[in-house]
Amino acid sequence: MDSDRLLSLYRQMVLLRHFDEMCLQLKLKDLIMNGFHPYSGQEAVAVGVCAGLGPDDHVMSNHRPQGHSIAKGSPPRAVFAEMLGRRGGVSQGIGGPMQWIDAPRNFICGSIVGSGITVATGVALAMQREARGPVCVCFYGDGASNTGSFHEGLNLAAIWKLPVVYICENNQYGEAMPVREFVSVEPIARRAAAYGLEGVCVDGMDVEAVAEAAGAGIAQCHTGTGPVFIECVTYRFRGHYGGDPEHTYRTKAEVAEWRQRCPIKRCRERLVAEGTDQATLDALEGEIHSQLDADQAWALAQPFPTVEQATDHVWIPLS
Amino acid sequence: MRTITYCQAISEAYREEMRRDSAVYLIGEDVGRWGNLFGASRGLLEEFGPAQVKDAPISEAAIAGCAVGSAVLGMRPIVEIMYIDFITIAMDQMVNHAARYHQLSGGAIKVPVVFRTQGGVGMRNSSQHSQSLENWFVNVPGLITVMPSTPADVKGLLKSAVRNDNPVVFIEHKALYFTKGEVPEEEYLTPLGVADVKRKGTDATIIATSWMVLHALEAAEQLAAEGIDCEVVDPRTLWPLDKQTLCDSVSRTRRCVVVTEAPAEGGWSAEAAAVVTEECFTNLLAPVKRVCGMRTGIPYGAELEKAVVPNADWIAAGVRELVS
Repeated sequence: MDSDRLLSLYRQMVLLRHFDEMCLQLKLKDLIMNGFHPYSGQEAVAVGVCAGLGPDDHVMSNHRPQGHSIAKGSPPRAVFAEMLGRRGGVSQGIGGPMQWIDAPRNFICGSIVGSGITVATGVALAMQREARGPVCVCFYGDGASNTGSFHEGLNLAAIWKLPVVYICENNQYGEAMPVREFVSVEPIARRAAAYGLEGVCVDGMDVEAVAEAAGAGIAQCHTGTGPVFIECVTYRFRGHYGGDPEHTYRTKAEVAEWRQRCPIKRCRERLVAEGTDQATLDALEGEIHSQLDADQAWALAQPFPTVEQATDHVWIPLS
Repeated sequence: MRTITYCQAISEAYREEMRRDSAVYLIGEDVGRWGNLFGASRGLLEEFGPAQVKDAPISEAAIAGCAVGSAVLGMRPIVEIMYIDFITIAMDQMVNHAARYHQLSGGAIKVPVVFRTQGGVGMRNSSQHSQSLENWFVNVPGLITVMPSTPADVKGLLKSAVRNDNPVVFIEHKALYFTKGEVPEEEYLTPLGVADVKRKGTDATIIATSWMVLHALEAAEQLAAEGIDCEVVDPRTLWPLDKQTLCDSVSRTRRCVVVTEAPAEGGWSAEAAAVVTEECFTNLLAPVKRVCGMRTGIPYGAELEKAVVPNADWIAAGVRELVS
């Protein structure tokens, strides 16, 4: 990957990381009220996958959506506002940190583990009407691969050759339970074989590897041969939710070990090795931080929805 | 006017809507080759092809989810869930996705899906193929719930449901498919959210849903012979409820019996009784009476399954209690 492209991915990952850490602070101050699931550590997945998408492509995401949404183009200030439950949020402050729809960016997420996998099939069914049309990327976690929706959805996509790129973000834990205790196979990508799919497993801490696999998967979907299954092996540096009792299910040493594989650190090392100077990267980070500070301030200044607004658009009244 | 069956009326609604709009498609188990258990979609695969008539695997969650996703991009799916009992597998997609997207998108996304299914007793199929589960859907903001009782209504309401931009749960009854009724030859729509007075009367209002409308009409005939003149009101749409028609009727007759095949507890029958009580309390000559299915799993067998849900005798007895 050329340095300019890698630098742009680096920039996105830094943005997601800093955004996430700011959200965690907002959660600890109770300004984000509940439902925030940190994404720190997994940035290479969202950024690497979304790098291959255009505006017409759709993303179906889960309860840990902020990285996917921003990588798909949602303005960080609107995601901040949603996290804070304010007007100006992507779902006007009605959805909160784990369920929103950014319709102009073709982005949907929801907090029922696994069920988006079935909805993605329908998005792709509609896309299939057009040859070489857009594709649908569906992000879900290791835990979702045990749900009925996963198996029903993958089978349907496979038999109808639907253009879905399934991204299994294996972050090692389903809430507090380690993946090795609750998934019957390793890697999870082996499950793809049950649906006649190849099942690719990549290092989800390496943004270049993710971008390459996702790019190939998206290109394959365009040929009309059906869905693609990519498992990205990654790790969440923070708790399942902001402030969870992490010590009950994993050790500090384990977290420290995974932090050595931080996707941002690795990407930076690569950029520096290829000739980008540290000062440029520092300046870029500084810019991101100031912009996010401004975005957060904007979001905090937005009003909360009124009770009247809480009942807007529940349905379309009969004419 | 010509007479056709409820099932033929559904078939006509399908054809007319699928011809009118190629975005309308059918998805479900055995909707194509078999043409649905009762023949409601027979011949559609041949006429419209597999892109518009999609035989799906036995995967209710995927079927419902697929419909929702495709609706987001402008398609207008009619989902068929073969028995309402199977809808339990699709509840997540209906309740957490279909019913939520319009609001979460600030009105930008519409989810025009019709979830067609059938419930109730009548096929000696026991407790996992005979239930009345409509109450669940009435409780979910964002969903419209329809239960047509006649061939004319099922056709006109299905066509309206297909054209409506909300997710609509459209619940038929297995005992109704081969009942006959007058259905106009020319095209028509029956509006959602509008009740219909199936029989005019002066002494008591029987509010009944789905198959129970037929039993209510039979009860009204029995009672007429005794000099009790009943009005029978079919809400047709459980939500949004046409309170006006219900309350106008009860205000005139001053007595009300609510009849559902579903058990009474926590059900739509309680909603209807509450509405009538709230709006017509000072007009009522007696408390609102409910006649509902027993709180049991539907037992196996032709006689037994019918013994646990209301019939004309139960309904007539309920009315007599109020009149005496």
